[in-house]
Amino acid sequence: MRFIVNIVVVIRIITEEVEVKYKYVGKSIKRPDAVKKVTGKAQYLDDLKLPGMLYAAILRPEYAHAKIVSIDISQAEACEGVVKVVTGKGCDFKYGDNIRDLTPMAVDKVRHIGEPVAAVVATNKYLARQALKKIIVKYEPLPVYIQAIDAMKKDAALIHENSGDYWHLPGLGPKPGTNIANYYKLNKGDIDAGFNDADAFAEAEFNFPLGSCAAIEPHGSIAWFHEDKTIEIWSSSICPFIIREEIARVYDLPESDVRVHIPELGGCFGYKSDITVEQTIAWIASFVPGHPVKWVATRKEDFLSTLLGHGMRIRMKVGAKKDGKLTALQTTVYHTTGAYSDTGVHVSIAAGHNSAGTYDFPNIFQESYLVYTNTPPVGAWRGYGHPEGQFAIERLMDILARKLKMSPFEIREKNYLGPGKTSSLGERMYTANGDVRKCVEIVKKAVFEKEKPAEDDKYYYGRGFSALMKTPKGAPFSSKGCYMKFNADGSVSINMGGAEVGQGLRTVVRQIAAESLKIPPEKIRVYTEIDTQFSPWEWQTIGSMFTLQGGMAIVKAAARAIAMLKKTAAQVLRVEEDVLDYDGEYVFLKNDPDLKIEIQRLVRGYMYENGMVAGEVVQTTADGRLPRYSGADPETGQGTMGVSYTFGAQGCEIRIDKKTGEIIVDHFASSFDVGKVINPEQIRGQITGGVMMSLGATLYEEVKFDGDGKCLNPHFSKYRFPNIKDSPKKYTIECVETPEAIGPFGARGIGEHPVIGVASSVLNAIYDAIGIDFHEIPVTPEKIKKALADKSSKQ
Amino acid sequence: MRQTLSFIVNGEKKTLELDGWEKLLEILRDKLELTGTKCGCDDASCGACVVVVNGKAEKSCVFPIAKLQGAEVVTIEGLGKGRELHPIQQAMIDGGAVQCGYCIPGIIMELYALFTKTPDADETEITNALSKHFCRCTGYESIMKSALLAQKYMR
Repeated sequence: MRFIVNIVVVIRIITEEVEVKYKYVGKSIKRPDAVKKVTGKAQYLDDLKLPGMLYAAILRPEYAHAKIVSIDISQAEACEGVVKVVTGKGCDFKYGDNIRDLTPMAVDKVRHIGEPVAAVVATNKYLARQALKKIIVKYEPLPVYIQAIDAMKKDAALIHENSGDYWHLPGLGPKPGTNIANYYKLNKGDIDAGFNDADAFAEAEFNFPLGSCAAIEPHGSIAWFHEDKTIEIWSSSICPFIIREEIARVYDLPESDVRVHIPELGGCFGYKSDITVEQTIAWIASFVPGHPVKWVATRKEDFLSTLLGHGMRIRMKVGAKKDGKLTALQTTVYHTTGAYSDTGVHVSIAAGHNSAGTYDFPNIFQESYLVYTNTPPVGAWRGYGHPEGQFAIERLMDILARKLKMSPFEIREKNYLGPGKTSSLGERMYTANGDVRKCVEIVKKAVFEKEKPAEDDKYYYGRGFSALMKTPKGAPFSSKGCYMKFNADGSVSINMGGAEVGQGLRTVVRQIAAESLKIPPEKIRVYTEIDTQFSPWEWQTIGSMFTLQGGMAIVKAAARAIAMLKKTAAQVLRVEEDVLDYDGEYVFLKNDPDLKIEIQRLVRGYMYENGMVAGEVVQTTADGRLPRYSGADPETGQGTMGVSYTFGAQGCEIRIDKKTGEIIVDHFASSFDVGKVINPEQIRGQITGGVMMSLGATLYEEVKFDGDGKCLNPHFSKYRFPNIKDSPKKYTIECVETPEAIGPFGARGIGEHPVIGVASSVLNAIYDAIGIDFHEIPVTPEKIKKALADKSSKQ
Repeated sequence: MRQTLSFIVNGEKKTLELDGWEKLLEILRDKLELTGTKCGCDDASCGACVVVVNGKAEKSCVFPIAKLQGAEVVTIEGLGKGRELHPIQQAMIDGGAVQCGYCIPGIIMELYALFTKTPDADETEITNALSKHFCRCTGYESIMKSALLAQKYMR
């Protein structure tokens, strides 16, 4: 019996600060959307039906890199139920919000196997798919590149011939005449001096292959070009405002004439960010104005025609003194970013500068090559570069420890970032950034305190450990907005632009608002769908930033609302505002609490007996952002690009089946300094889910391509997705609470963090079990068996 | 090939004209507007579309239409009574198993079939039943906890 449930959900919280008593924050309040979800009434994209709706199916190419010679749509046009057949002919724009290299439908060539070549719009999805088979396309195949290192070779054919002409954000952009879509470098100190100073070195190449976020809800969109020239879009996306901006730009409309709705989302994990399929569906819908056009990805399309994750080879070298003090880090990231680079560029940059992990390296030289390949484009995958870069450093720290004959804990202990140190980005660390050592102690105690079981007939046993660090990866304008409205009965409606993807954002909104307003959560109604016509602006819900930034927006909006209540009350009570207090029910005189006014009598202004009204309606707006966030300095690659840091530690106990090579994770421990736990049950759910997702990447999952760029496993029956039998039988989860200076009630985010230290912990445990160093994932039973056979043949 | 289908869905008799291409999943979602049953894959692997047919948990994306004539189908919409949730639904909430919610209807129907037939199913039986279902959000811990809670509520 592998699966034994840990029934008791307890999160022990370590707090050394003076205990602050919160009424609603820190409690496992239930999700406001739970009933709709368990009754099947939550409306996801594919559940929407609009009047006059048509359905699109999209043709994908037979080659991963080819010129399109001709497309014959005549037979498809004659099929039953077909309203329109669309190709990329005449499409003269590109899109993207970082490097504008994407095209809604292939125009003269295809660059990967999931690219849209043509589409059929029909009266139902079955007829649309049937007619697709009648489209005849002639191709002239071109050389195919699957790996970044191959596409970088001098004689490689260009995947984008005119990449030098593409618009891009300042500081980013392709190197014309090559397949390099972006190059980023970071310099801290003097790398040569750092290595000269070192007594010991560790060096290796690591591979974090392509994977899929694989939310259970596939991506999809509905686009509707209205007769009045406005455009309406529905999408299973977390970026309504980016979609609005980009659709408005390419169709030359005021942004206010594009309305984007986000219904309920069935998971995201990264790949539903940025603008991707929406431009394709809009392009298709533009040929049938007056009709909403719906498209939902098949699972195969969700793998190959949305975004993949990872695709990184990382060469890393570290140097240290005899006493274990680190002197230098050199990292080179080769990022197989796929056929388009817009969505991958910041992932490769983040993988680079975060590859220093939790350590204080005085000297760093880091390069990230973002390289066009003939694979589907890579975008965000939970952790955004952190899991990849820190997979490398956390494996190397164990290897370096062995060289220096130290324990993995000892070498790390000598080098942790903390108050007074500077990160790779040059940001100074303070106490408010949290305490990695406390997290380490928790994991060490949970995993390493007892003796490891001795090898037996059936199993090898191993234990592994990793420290980790997460920064948000924001942008200078990455704000979250909050509209707060007091209702006549004293209840409150809150409207924000943050996407609930399952992470529990709505519960967090409710709890932070309740705490800020001193009003019970039942009286706080949180928004459901996002609609750019009504929702406040938000950049996009990414980077584990919502709790921090969105939370601060709520705290600010609440303070403004309370100030308005007091201002009206001061007028009525004929006192100054500063002698008034507020408790969620009344505004009252501090020195004479009996002199009070119910907030219900203030929220729409105070009405005197004669019907005259004084004061304003209480509805406020506010936003929250990362203070002093900046882009990278072109010379050093450094900048205030982290702002808020979160530290943590993870560790595991594993067994390796001697006969099958199967790795069984018996116990997985995680500890993060989250600043403040808003909701213990939800945080546990985030951590168990993140650990499981990353165990999938570590042990099972890889999207594989053959040499022609065709995918070998774009279906769940072939892509080994973890199920309940793969779940660790025991989790240790304990959070540390060192308050974040800029977070609501001291809180930081947690969404991505649980995935970061998993692969390195498991691979460190594999070494502990069998003395073999793996440098790439997934570590499948076959790879274990082969490595064990190789090892015994050498002995 | 067009055909007529008569069957019982959530206690109500339905007679429908089919075009011939629809699976039970499309019949429920597109013809009967029972969109609580979800589609998550294209090769009967994820379990999001599981409904109960004649007392058994079945994947509606591949269930043979020929076997549907006269059959009794229960979907997620057939479990609760208005505002009164079925104990399994309540247990999913109380056990913290709801995150994005997309896999939840399928999981609830799987457990409904299991616990109707075997109220005292042990953890191995529950694990085997749930291993047909993918969840990307929870890591499954809270789902197992909720399943055990549901058994308690149903007693």
